[in-house]
Amino acid sequence: MEEIKVGVFLSDCGNQLPKILDFDALMSYVKQVSGVSLVARANEHWRGQGLKTIVDTIKKGKINRVVVAQGLPKLGEVNVVKAVEEAGLNPYLVEVIDLKDHCAWPHRDTPSEATEKAKAMLLAAIERAKLLEPIEKLEFPTLKSVLVIGGGIAGMQAAEDLADLGFQVHLIEKAPFLGGLAARASRFFPTDDCAICIQSPASDVKTITHTSRKCVYRSGFSEIPNLSILTNSRVVNAEGIPGNYRITIEKKPRYVNELKCVGCDLCTTVCPVEVPDEHNAKLKKRKAIYMNVPNVYPPVYVIDESACKFYDCAKCVEVCPTEAIELDQKSERMTLNVGSVIIATGFQEYDPSVIKEYHYGDFPNVITNLELARMIDGFGPTNGEVIKPSDRKPAKQIVMIQCVGSRDRRWNPWCSSICCMISLKHAMLIKSADPDADVTVCYIDIRTTGREHEYYYERAREMGIKFVKGRPTEVVHDPEVNMLIVDVEDQISRKFLELEADLVVLAPAMVPAEGTKELAQILGIELDEDGFFKEYNAKLRPTETKLRGIFLCGGATFPKDAPTTSLHAHSAAVKAAKFLTTGKIVKDQRTAFVNEEYCGDCEFCPVTCPYGAISLVPKDEEHFVAQISDLLCEGCGVCVGTCPVNAIELRHTRPNQILAQMNALMSVNGTSKPLILAICCSECGHAAVDSCGMAMMQYPANIRVMKVPCTGILQVHQFLEAFKAGAEGVMVVGCKSDGCHYEVGSLKAQKKVELAKVLLKEYGLEPERLEMFNMVYIEGNEFAETAQMMTERLERLGPLRLMGSS
Amino acid sequence: MALEKEVKKSQLPFSKEIMTQLGGETVTFCYQCGTCASSCPVAKITEKFNPREVIKQSLLGEKEETLSGDAIWLCCSCYNCQERCPQKVEIADVIYALRNMSIRRGNIPNIYAEFAAGLMSEGRIVPISKFLEKKRPEFGLPPLKSTGIDSLRKILSTTGFDAIWQKGEEES
Repeated sequence: MEEIKVGVFLSDCGNQLPKILDFDALMSYVKQVSGVSLVARANEHWRGQGLKTIVDTIKKGKINRVVVAQGLPKLGEVNVVKAVEEAGLNPYLVEVIDLKDHCAWPHRDTPSEATEKAKAMLLAAIERAKLLEPIEKLEFPTLKSVLVIGGGIAGMQAAEDLADLGFQVHLIEKAPFLGGLAARASRFFPTDDCAICIQSPASDVKTITHTSRKCVYRSGFSEIPNLSILTNSRVVNAEGIPGNYRITIEKKPRYVNELKCVGCDLCTTVCPVEVPDEHNAKLKKRKAIYMNVPNVYPPVYVIDESACKFYDCAKCVEVCPTEAIELDQKSERMTLNVGSVIIATGFQEYDPSVIKEYHYGDFPNVITNLELARMIDGFGPTNGEVIKPSDRKPAKQIVMIQCVGSRDRRWNPWCSSICCMISLKHAMLIKSADPDADVTVCYIDIRTTGREHEYYYERAREMGIKFVKGRPTEVVHDPEVNMLIVDVEDQISRKFLELEADLVVLAPAMVPAEGTKELAQILGIELDEDGFFKEYNAKLRPTETKLRGIFLCGGATFPKDAPTTSLHAHSAAVKAAKFLTTGKIVKDQRTAFVNEEYCGDCEFCPVTCPYGAISLVPKDEEHFVAQISDLLCEGCGVCVGTCPVNAIELRHTRPNQILAQMNALMSVNGTSKPLILAICCSECGHAAVDSCGMAMMQYPANIRVMKVPCTGILQVHQFLEAFKAGAEGVMVVGCKSDGCHYEVGSLKAQKKVELAKVLLKEYGLEPERLEMFNMVYIEGNEFAETAQMMTERLERLGPLRLMGSS
Repeated sequence: MALEKEVKKSQLPFSKEIMTQLGGETVTFCYQCGTCASSCPVAKITEKFNPREVIKQSLLGEKEETLSGDAIWLCCSCYNCQERCPQKVEIADVIYALRNMSIRRGNIPNIYAEFAAGLMSEGRIVPISKFLEKKRPEFGLPPLKSTGIDSLRKILSTTGFDAIWQKGEEES
């Protein structure tokens, strides 16, 4: 085996650190540590001459392990590691510590104590460096193709972006036509323009300009190169790994050949079956063979198989001039191989009939916003006229009720966020078509938070639309005047009103689209507590799911207006493109591995892994072993902390490395206070220590910080080892339990600390010597206070006495 | 490590104090939509009572006005509001909680004092006269059973009801 030669590089920060730390003492201390073959000192080592020294010594073969003491948490480390890799040494053979922010600054009042602590920190870094092993880069090939699920505005937008970027895109839609909810909404706020207007594809060479936009059906959307569209289709199975998914699609029969149908309309004229038209809120009837509206994609008829009489009638077959009707069509299944999946399944209107007091479903003149939208649509069932469904006469007195089944703990507790604007839009469209119409909106709060949305509300008031602040208790029917009565308290005038209405329009909650739960199950991704697809982190990782390669956009994550949906779709498209563009995933093997000899049959780790990276595979006829996917493993070590037989290790944080660090950190005290080991996670916990030091907050030098990837890696015996190594107290510092970077790590650590406390008590030690804390970066002051508090606590408890000693 | 401070109930903000009472737990759910007010048969005939306003007053911390005022005694306990509240505020129960708090301060409206006196002496809220008792057979009703007044008094004393009532008697 190659001889280990550690190079230690100390930054003195422009000679500022030596004002506190005795650098001569540190240099001579480090020189005598076994394995150290070089000690150098510079202003800084993360750039310029200092960095060059590191690179040169590596290139000359003088050292094969690097320890750098450098300020600038993380930034310094990133640069050093990059340079080391370029110099030809494996980047995982580098250990970077921060003598400034973790030692000199927070202990500036006690320089000699700080120097002793610095020795311990350097020794710990050197001992760990000696045990480090190279970690290799792995490559996983990815396919340059994407499946987009959902043909509404979100899905179409994302599909267009990706196809324009050169990816092979499959867009599938469960309905027979594209357009989704937008196609039924008719117009969008706050511009009142057509809902089905989209950005023109770049492939539309003849008319494309920077400002170009077109209706879906005029856009040439379907002719975008690399884009294939499947309607009447849904996902029925999914297999594979990020970058390589095999998705099974089921395409329901259309019974009309898309390549032959010319859209001549002869079939509908002869079709004898009439059914209520769902697309048009059942306000008109349609034939069993139909198109939603004249301008749809695909511009091809479809047969409603629940209504058609097939060969008992077959009149359409006789009359079709192109023999396009094929009553024998069957469901087809096909498999798509894609690198990535974008979910754009949208949302839908909640069925408000559960709220009995509003009598939706009982009174024909109580309708929903979407039904009203169909009436307002010129292509709709009433050719744009707002009518009373009971007698089809024009509606003159209209009352709108907001928050129906949303902001309601009984049904859907969330604010659906777009209904206020939808109702304002409808109120104004009605009022501008018929200035005599009397429109009243009953609201709890009007929420107009988007760009120009408040001006929209202003305009509504100018137009004479009335607003009543109050949620009505019920809608009743008065047979004498044949009107609906809406019973509401106007809180502003403190009056009880009985509003007469010939049409009551409810603004129901917006809820996840039908089939959301099933799709989540098939793809193995999570839903949030409200049943929408869960974004991995709405602030930091929007449109991403926990599974790499599966992205979300549009109303599938929460109800959204069109501009936000569009933004979201672009975001998902960029994320998918970024993921697939190089054709491979490059990833360090900074992962966990299983020692198969010890592993045996328990199922703890697959259940605990937050990333689903662990599976059980047969070892022999009777036994299973855990197998960890290097692609899915994030290297947190939660499995290591969970394994009851120590069969799992992290390649970059081995147990012997942890132990060597602990022993080194506890080797020198130099203060009169009890030594405390602070085991911090590499994320929020360590960041709190960084920020504490950077702000020069003071805490005693008996606190020794050790970094682990995530506190979830810790095992109960490690706390005991810390005491054995000389610690009189142990602090575990992790992320907040709901903000853990590895989801469950912090909680797991908390449980283990509790368990260890029980053991300590059994052994005759005070359980308060061990404590778990949760902090974030901005809580550096809390780290200082906690360190002080623990020190005082341990001083009070006195020296550690093991059982049997006196 | 944040240390939980022990706070006495009386030092709590009024809305929190209500939450510690049986029935008052949901008071802070209220977002003032007014469904309760338009559901309320009492509010429609008198301006003295509006359930939404009782809750609002409580949330604003107006303890004195809420507990000494007439409003909380006007609720007819039909539970219409509670049935329809979209935030699951148990409005009628909150009002009971407020009444309990008011009574503990010795503020007992006469009618309730009479109920309490009847309960303590006869075991019944409504006194039964000899005349009424004689009338019962005419309507096919069985004779009234004994109220078990001794056991009842034990319960009323163990639960502290008699002490609360006594306090109210003294103050009025």
